[in-house]
Amino acid sequence: MSESPSSAVSSPLATIWTLAVVTFKRLRRGKAMWIGVGLAALPIAYAIARRARGAAVAPDELFAAAMVLLALLPAMFVASSVGEDIEDRTSTYLWSRAIPRWAVLAGKLCALAPVVIVLLAGSWYATIQLGAPASPSLSSVLAMVAGCIAASLIAAGIATVVPKHGMVLSIGYLLVDNFIGAMPFSLAELSITHQATLLAMLDGPHPIATPLFVMALVSGLWAAIGVVRIGRLEV
Amino acid sequence: MTSGIVVADHCSKWYGHVLGVSEVTWTLGRGIVGLLGPNGAGKSTLIKMMAGLLRPSRGSLTVYGARPFDDVAVRRRIGYAPEHDATWDELTALELVTAMARLAGVPAAKAGRAAEDAIAQMGMTAAMHRRVRGFSKGMRQRTKLATAIAHDPDFVLLDEPLTGVDPIARADIVERIKQLGAAGKTIVVSSHVLYEIEALTSDIVVIYRGQVLAEGNVYEIRRLIDRHPHRIRVECDQPRAIAAALAPEDHIARLSFERGGIVIETRDPDRCYDQLASAVLAANVTVSALSSPDNNLGAVFEYLTGDGGRR
Repeated sequence: MSESPSSAVSSPLATIWTLAVVTFKRLRRGKAMWIGVGLAALPIAYAIARRARGAAVAPDELFAAAMVLLALLPAMFVASSVGEDIEDRTSTYLWSRAIPRWAVLAGKLCALAPVVIVLLAGSWYATIQLGAPASPSLSSVLAMVAGCIAASLIAAGIATVVPKHGMVLSIGYLLVDNFIGAMPFSLAELSITHQATLLAMLDGPHPIATPLFVMALVSGLWAAIGVVRIGRLEV
Repeated sequence: MTSGIVVADHCSKWYGHVLGVSEVTWTLGRGIVGLLGPNGAGKSTLIKMMAGLLRPSRGSLTVYGARPFDDVAVRRRIGYAPEHDATWDELTALELVTAMARLAGVPAAKAGRAAEDAIAQMGMTAAMHRRVRGFSKGMRQRTKLATAIAHDPDFVLLDEPLTGVDPIARADIVERIKQLGAAGKTIVVSSHVLYEIEALTSDIVVIYRGQVLAEGNVYEIRRLIDRHPHRIRVECDQPRAIAAALAPEDHIARLSFERGGIVIETRDPDRCYDQLASAVLAANVTVSALSSPDNNLGAVFEYLTGDGGRR
């Protein structure tokens, strides 16, 4: 307790690391982690059940199921964490500290996006291994990782706009994104699940530049909304 | 510009059409200052503006010459304990306070020690490895205070730090806040209970309907408030034991039983709280909550600000 009043504030990296560690610790001790694990296990169980009945499942069918999980897990983890801190006013502890507010979002994303990635990419890998006739391609795993990152950024942005209903609206947004992505219209190009499916190259090689660009654009837009919004919020 | 730790210049804050603080011009010096006013008076709004959580809608408010909402560095010098109870309940007290110290700029190597020191100052060492989820109201208040001081701020903002805590914990927290003041911190404490503020300081700012009504000498307001019975609501398992102990006292204006407790009206709050603590200990009463509804303070302020009232 001997720091001088003029001592420097924490660096952004140190702040993000501290917030990430705390966020992960809270997640590990809560129920959401186990609900997420249970949800991630559903496609694996489905694939095993189908395989046991002698009917291997096509990878694109399993990927579509994984895309539905992509609508659930980022919302459950990221949107609820960001939204609850604002809604419960625990954010007052953070925002009264000598830290930039964007670092709060970054810290949460650094803790929670990897959890989403491990659960979804892990689920995808295990599902294909156990349920499909082939091993999962590297491109499909990387597509899942890119989808998780994009969906986490979108969920974070939505939660800053509507903290109270951040999780529900994020799920709704990403389900609509799924629906739009399945439509045979040009609007589907704006869907991150559609772009993730293209990236996965399940039906043959595709150029990756456009899917990556669209995913970065859409998720970057939501992340920017989140950063601007959290900088202006008053609690 | 006027010198002072906090300088508010015609500072106003609206929440949509609702007025939080209106045209406050005020300078805060050093020491412990009590912010007194009924609920909804604007105390929390003013404190949140000082903590950098709210931005003035009009006018300006600076802390150490900087605007705390926009200036990250000045918040390093501020410690803030909010009014609400919500916190990260999954963490232990030590983890919570350490994290807050780190976020306030204390280096990683020193944060754990700083947190332990702050927790010790608040008398929470024995419980520091327990999760906050299981804490009583008083323990939560102490933990919040520890998060506010762990980074050794110059300026500490405590929003209703005594709300809901039992008399013994209340006296202990008051003593610990006074120790912080004696250590050279500038502290702003808000409350809607005059005697709580008086126990900490005689330097009082009276705020009502978003405006600073008076500051400095409190004797006149004290005299006016004493004319009105002071209400204390005690939630406990043996309200009749408390009633039996207090009923003979001449300062008791009224005793009434409510579900799960008793409401005491007294003309001498200081004596009443002392006797209440004695009664609780003597009868081994379990007190789950203690609060002081601010109806009486509101009535006095209505009188002060009314057409024929005095300022």
